[in-house]
Amino acid sequence: MKIKLTSVYVDDQDKALRFYTQVLGFAKKADFSQGPFRWLTVASPEEPDGTELQLALNNNPAAKAYQQAMFQQGQPGAMFYTDDVKGDYERIKARGAEFTMPPTDVTASTIAMLKDTCGNLIQLTQLAGRKTR
Amino acid sequence: MTAREQYAPGPAGGAQVRKDGEKWTLILVRELRHSPEKVWQALTDPAQLREWAPFDADGSLGTVGTTVKLTTVGAPTPHVTETKVRRADASKALEYNWGGFDIRWELEAVGGGTRLTLWTNIDRRYISMGAAGWHICFDVLDQLLSGTPIGRIVGPEAMKFGWPRLNAEYAKQFGLETPTATSRRRT
Repeated sequence: MKIKLTSVYVDDQDKALRFYTQVLGFAKKADFSQGPFRWLTVASPEEPDGTELQLALNNNPAAKAYQQAMFQQGQPGAMFYTDDVKGDYERIKARGAEFTMPPTDVTASTIAMLKDTCGNLIQLTQLAGRKTR
Repeated sequence: MTAREQYAPGPAGGAQVRKDGEKWTLILVRELRHSPEKVWQALTDPAQLREWAPFDADGSLGTVGTTVKLTTVGAPTPHVTETKVRRADASKALEYNWGGFDIRWELEAVGGGTRLTLWTNIDRRYISMGAAGWHICFDVLDQLLSGTPIGRIVGPEAMKFGWPRLNAEYAKQFGLETPTATSRRRT
């Protein structure tokens, strides 16, 4: 058994694909459709066969309620690890993303938080001791 | 070998795409050697839909104004949507919505059989996938109506029954590049 996939709910899959590829820099991995269902995932270009992130449409009441509550409480919908949180912050901000928290030192890591434009907060995490490239 | 194991779809055909800006409509026509009354039952009765359609219905689609839950079968995660039957002229025309896509059926009596036409607006990127999927569903429907049901073939199951070839053939007929289920592209 392996953990190969995680999901984030989004309010619009096309908008999400643009944000996660063009702004965050991930690459589209899978995209297929059966009737109204669309399976859409991205992966990191640094790790093309690594864990995929499914951009799942929040078209059911439970998903919408969960997503809104998480957002309102400031809880990230997904967390990505980086070796250079300050560099990523500058790069992603320059592409127009809105950060709710600039890189901030916390216990054992430095984190930043941004809006993914699809209803979620995304946290970037650099573990303490991981060198900036 | 069972009839199901022997099944292989014929060549792509009977499909058209109507392009209206970004909105594309897939139109599929299939001649069936069965009466419109019989075809109507297969389009509306949940027990018969389960034998051929890409979704399950929790009630009959045969009455206008009824709310019915449609569950996409074979999707990697559960996918349920609700629809209201917009039009139900028995043995003639049926309209509802499947998860944001309008579905319109027309049944026309032709020499003892039925010319069945499906109009569905479908995302242009997946239009050949849709044509390939419905093609196989119609073959299975034909078998069901002939009294020799072979069991529904939808979702990943269709991959084993010539779906990739049909997808490529329809994409070619529609003048599209063959879409692939996975692609790797660096941005």
